[in-house]
Amino acid sequence: MAPFAVVAPASPDEAIAELRAAGPGEAVVLAGGTDLLFDLEDSRVGPRRVVSLRRLPWRTLDWNGPSLTIGSTLPLRAIETDPEVRRRIPGLYAAVRAVGSVALRHQATLGGNLGRSAPASDLIPILLVLDAEVDLLGPSGERRIDVDRFVLGSRRTALAPGELIRSIRIPEARPSAYLWQRVRPFHDISHMAVAVAFSAARSAWRVAVSGFPPRPLLVPEAEEALGGPEPGPEAVARAADALAAHAPIVADRRASEAYRRQLVRPLLQRAVQAIRAGSGGR
Amino acid sequence: MTVAPRPDGPDKIAGRTIFGTDLEVPGMLWGALVLSPVAHGRIRSLDLTSARAHPGVVAIASDDVPGLVEHRMGDPERPPFPREEVTYRHQPIAAVAAPSRALAREAARAVRVEVDPLPIAGDLDELFPEWPSSRIEDPSRVAAHVHARKGEVERAFHEAETVVAETYRTAGIHQVALEPHACVAEVRDGVWRVQSSTQSPFGAREDTASILGIPETSIVVDGTWVGGGFGGKGAALLEPYALLLARASGRPVRLALSYAEEFRLGRSTLPSVIRMETAVTAGEIVARRVRLLLDVGTSLPGRDFATGYAIGFLLGPYRTPSFEVEGYAVRTNKPPLGPHRAPFAPQATFAVESHLESVAREVGVDPVEFKARHLWRQGDRTPFGQRVTPFGLPAALERARATATRWRQAAPARHGVGVAVGFWSTSTGAGGEARLCLSPTELTIIEGEREIGSGSVLIGLSQVASRRTGLPIERVRVEYRDSSRAPYDAGVFGSRTVGALGRAVDEAAVALLRTLGERLSAPGPATLEVRDGEIVAVHGTTRRPVSEIWTEEEARVGGIAAEGKHYGKSGEIDEHLVRDGTFYAFTDFTGAAHVAEVAVDPETGSVRVVRYAAFHDAGVVIDLPSARAQVEGGVAMGLGTALTEESIWSDDARLLNAGLLDYRIPTLGEVPPIEIEFVEGFPGAGPFGAKGLGEPPIIPVPATIASAVRDACGAHVTELPLSPERVARGLKLV
Repeated sequence: MAPFAVVAPASPDEAIAELRAAGPGEAVVLAGGTDLLFDLEDSRVGPRRVVSLRRLPWRTLDWNGPSLTIGSTLPLRAIETDPEVRRRIPGLYAAVRAVGSVALRHQATLGGNLGRSAPASDLIPILLVLDAEVDLLGPSGERRIDVDRFVLGSRRTALAPGELIRSIRIPEARPSAYLWQRVRPFHDISHMAVAVAFSAARSAWRVAVSGFPPRPLLVPEAEEALGGPEPGPEAVARAADALAAHAPIVADRRASEAYRRQLVRPLLQRAVQAIRAGSGGR
Repeated sequence: MTVAPRPDGPDKIAGRTIFGTDLEVPGMLWGALVLSPVAHGRIRSLDLTSARAHPGVVAIASDDVPGLVEHRMGDPERPPFPREEVTYRHQPIAAVAAPSRALAREAARAVRVEVDPLPIAGDLDELFPEWPSSRIEDPSRVAAHVHARKGEVERAFHEAETVVAETYRTAGIHQVALEPHACVAEVRDGVWRVQSSTQSPFGAREDTASILGIPETSIVVDGTWVGGGFGGKGAALLEPYALLLARASGRPVRLALSYAEEFRLGRSTLPSVIRMETAVTAGEIVARRVRLLLDVGTSLPGRDFATGYAIGFLLGPYRTPSFEVEGYAVRTNKPPLGPHRAPFAPQATFAVESHLESVAREVGVDPVEFKARHLWRQGDRTPFGQRVTPFGLPAALERARATATRWRQAAPARHGVGVAVGFWSTSTGAGGEARLCLSPTELTIIEGEREIGSGSVLIGLSQVASRRTGLPIERVRVEYRDSSRAPYDAGVFGSRTVGALGRAVDEAAVALLRTLGERLSAPGPATLEVRDGEIVAVHGTTRRPVSEIWTEEEARVGGIAAEGKHYGKSGEIDEHLVRDGTFYAFTDFTGAAHVAEVAVDPETGSVRVVRYAAFHDAGVVIDLPSARAQVEGGVAMGLGTALTEESIWSDDARLLNAGLLDYRIPTLGEVPPIEIEFVEGFPGAGPFGAKGLGEPPIIPVPATIASAVRDACGAHVTELPLSPERVARGLKLV
């Protein structure tokens, strides 16, 4: 690990100025640090400057009617312990609980998870099925972008140089669920995961998969196969088939392609069952 | 029995204990190793110039060793650095020391190494794709070969009613001690001194002497508090490099591994392939054939006892009239194989127990009944002809059977209950010595082992002395001394601390009591008690305080001394059965029967362990809380071997999961409630009839879990660990 400076700007403008002052690739943004620190330790990133967001006033959670806005540096534990999140967006609750351990969730943040954009992120798939949007703040002002368009690939996002994630907006609380499969139930990475949500406003299902490279993604064929608000067993089976057929599942050292394809059906079925039962997952 | 508080507990809980990896001494330099970038290759050039150009940096490699160690007389097969050829990835090629950690790393990176790649031997299946159906013809890969047979094996197989043949595979696993290897070395006035986190100060001294080529008497190993060993800290690893750097720089040098390095160049276990064949007639085993391919990594010729020892466990604790066993230690371009708590026994036991379950099912007998029928009993002979000493395993299996029956009756759908046994020979054979010192206020045990976590040193040895002398345990203290001032001991490994070093403590205590008896002019040994705060020697109605019977000289040095030693002997095997290589006799017979209830997800293959029971023959239990803790810890660790732990190697012998993200040990969340019971009445060779208990608890765990998974869903998984994907394959989902 090469030496670097850590700065903790007191305002968003200062933070953006810090990022702009550094040359390309010379600065990295620190939120909770639960992922970044491993890259620093192993010299996978070699910044000269680490810009910490800890002093920014972004540890917020605001309900506004059906919509929820979560500040990017709010620790995941605060999302998990918000009773309204658990009641109104059970899939988000389940997804947050899937990340690491309680101790880690006191440190990790939603903005950090999104900004680091890991292929096996437990949070990006649920944000996808909730049609979440990202509010960005940068040198040229504010902009809002869909999570689906924000996430470009493994460790790649649409963040422009000098830009920061200010908050994540979930436009509509939805019945939702997040189901995962891993070697170890806790403190592990999901090697296959399915997020499902139903939008009453649009009378449409949203289905996303995660756990393999390059990135979590929505599978519209599965969404269409689920059809209306009360899909029967056949519709769920068709959706599972569509998911297995259209999700670009690949193998890596954590799981084979065949095993991942096998997992799609039970995870989707259980997700739909969980939504019927009003729970977010296991 | 008094429940003894752990004297090391408060400091460890409060984070005050200084472990090896916490050590820093004034004026020290930070060391770093330069590691091979390839798994196999010829060193074309090695240039230390740029590293040495950094201010304050010392850099050394093979060419520098003769200048640092005059009159080197070490083992030519164990040079500290390779001269021509590297044989595993991350093999240390050179070492540097610098005034700061960052500078040391930078200097290590500045060392230029050019290596011409050579072909890499990575994978057992790739090296011997036809095995076991064809024999191994290429001797160049074989580091050791063991072969033994008894009786007319071919005929027995030919004439048998039933023959079952299966192949099992096991993954390499790592010890995952919380604390990585670490040491601080200093060379001054001809004394090579190293403080090290080691399970064996004397073993580390012997190894270091052999690698550096200096006499053991010039080396002092001072053990630090150890943050877990589990077999990984039994031999020297960093000490020779740290000492060479200290010699080269004239300063103390700290050398410690990062956790990734711990995975990469620590001594972990490696994969195996096991072939099991059993012939049965009229419900009785008539013959067995067992063959083993064991990856031993970069093994040194002539140094492999792994195969001969491992293979002893592959026949299991069962009567076997005729057999053939053959094992190959296969050299690959992985780091050298190292021991892991009960080396290879959990893997061997998984194979033999799963296999005999298949055999029992094939002949239509309940597996537990089948095993109980064949189990050794005291007085039986092992397949190798050794007489079985008191052995509580049959009794433990009966307890396990009763528990399993009860659990099975109550088990819901998708749950299964498994039973397996494991046995072990605790190393009461290795040597140990102890010195006692009795003052008017306390009895001190002087010895050369650091407590490595289990309590065997601080509590186990104290309990032995307390039990023998009659003193309450609060009056017994263990005093650690470095290898220049302590009595010799082989090390804290092989479940031997209480069993063997405890015998030395016991003998010293007996000698002390005899001395005191003489001072009381009594006809036999005295005992000790505490009266009005002072220790008193007692015989019958005679009582005299220690302060009245010690000599002036004893008062001057602080107490009445006594010494004890124990160099035990193992049993004997019938050497006529041995065709090639070395097989090993057992020193004591200990065993355990375990029961697990698991829930298996029929669609994903995930296994959840619901509850667990462990029935152990530990001879006479010396300290019940420590014994229970050993079993709990061993079971928890075994669950990792059974379900989640696995080193993943690429085709070019690169470790792909060198970290705790993808090398998964169980968390507390996966450890179920564990019922523990000790079956008594089978005394061992240790003090008061104790047997070792450090390793036995891990041995039956993978076999027990596999048995429970099979009971739950019918999936017969023949490869460790039983990851969800492997169970899914067993369920034919994939």
